Amino acid sequence: MSADVSDLSLVRRVQRGDKGAFDALVLKYQHKVVKLVMRYVRNPAEAEDIAQDAFIKAYRALPQFRGDSAFYTWLYRIAINTAKNAVVSRDRSPIDFDLDLQNPDESYDMQGRLKDSETPEALTLTEEIRSTVNSAIDALPEDLRTAIVLRELEGLSYEEIADAMGCPVGTVRSRIFRAREAIDRRLREVFEGGLGRAEELG
Amino acid sequence: MNEELDSQLSAMFDDELPQAECELLARRLSRDEALKARWRRYAVMGAAVRAERGVRMDVRLETNLATRVSAAISAEPALEGATVAETRARRSGGFRWWQPVSGGAIAAGVAAMSVLWVRSQAPIGSDEVVAQNPAPTAVVAQNENANAAPEGYVVPTNVEPRSFMPPAELANYMVAHSEFSTPVSRRNLLSTLVASESGTAGTTGESDGAAEVVPVEDPVENVEKAH
Repeated sequence: MSADVSDLSLVRRVQRGDKGAFDALVLKYQHKVVKLVMRYVRNPAEAEDIAQDAFIKAYRALPQFRGDSAFYTWLYRIAINTAKNAVVSRDRSPIDFDLDLQNPDESYDMQGRLKDSETPEALTLTEEIRSTVNSAIDALPEDLRTAIVLRELEGLSYEEIADAMGCPVGTVRSRIFRAREAIDRRLREVFEGGLGRAEELG
Repeated sequence: MNEELDSQLSAMFDDELPQAECELLARRLSRDEALKARWRRYAVMGAAVRAERGVRMDVRLETNLATRVSAAISAEPALEGATVAETRARRSGGFRWWQPVSGGAIAAGVAAMSVLWVRSQAPIGSDEVVAQNPAPTAVVAQNENANAAPEGYVVPTNVEPRSFMPPAELANYMVAHSEFSTPVSRRNLLSTLVASESGTAGTTGESDGAAEVVPVEDPVENVEKAH
């Protein structure tokens, strides 16, 4: 199986004017891009802002993307450049201490110190999602757990997993799908509960 | 939800779905919100398994990164097929300002390389050959116009081969004027005459052009001094 086929299918749709396909690309890569940007900035909220800029830049530059390289390689390059530029411009801009005195909340928001991603509620939800996924994986049958861990943690292809587990590629595909289904059932409960709590907070 | 469809979605997320199926599913994925939500949870699973620090799994849709990007993109103009085509056309055939500049730079580079190559191909000491070649002409002129005014020998008229030089006359001339020559020059003149007698006038036995003409230069100087 050639790599990047699914990304390329989505990219071609975006290039033909389908914005919804770009949503799928953002959903798939948002965590990886934020993680990448976190190498340049420590603040998660600032990293998300930079990641957002990177995705918007990528969307605007997509007409020039010809598929010579993998989409994620191209996207990561944009994210790295965006992060570097953001760090340079941030270091050059002085902090306005008058704002601190007049409106402390706004000042905190500008500096990204107390954005929503770091509120206790957000951190709790994030931790809850992690523990749910991990406990769901622990509860999986051995063959499903091995398949999903080799895929998600080690990044092996289906063919490599098939070699490692001594089974056909079709079986690997089925095991990974069933593992995801089992995890997803638990995850949906958290998402729905999390959304309810968020609305109460809002 | 169709289980086969979900299985395809899982394989597509891993880049393990055949291209033809990818095309169809990509179309559906971009429009089906339920499918997109599942796709999103697949991404969250991967991030949770890898324990990506600092990355939040935000369940609040209004602040979610993907939602914010989607909102920003919705304000952007849609990328049309024509846009892509125009971009490619501009790349392949449109006017580019750097084309004439780069063309000129290449031409200048080729010219510089040619000059350097020609200089590297010229034999060592060739400058001396060019400077000294008129010397024998002057000698010939002097010999042919022995009774003429002194300035006659400085205007070369016709280049004659050295083999036509009358060695007997020159020998007589040299002997007659040898008292005005320095011992070193006298020896050079004698060796030149001896060599010309044997048909190798002006040579010293070496093959390079610089060595051939050196002995010929001295007689001229001596002749001038004699006058």
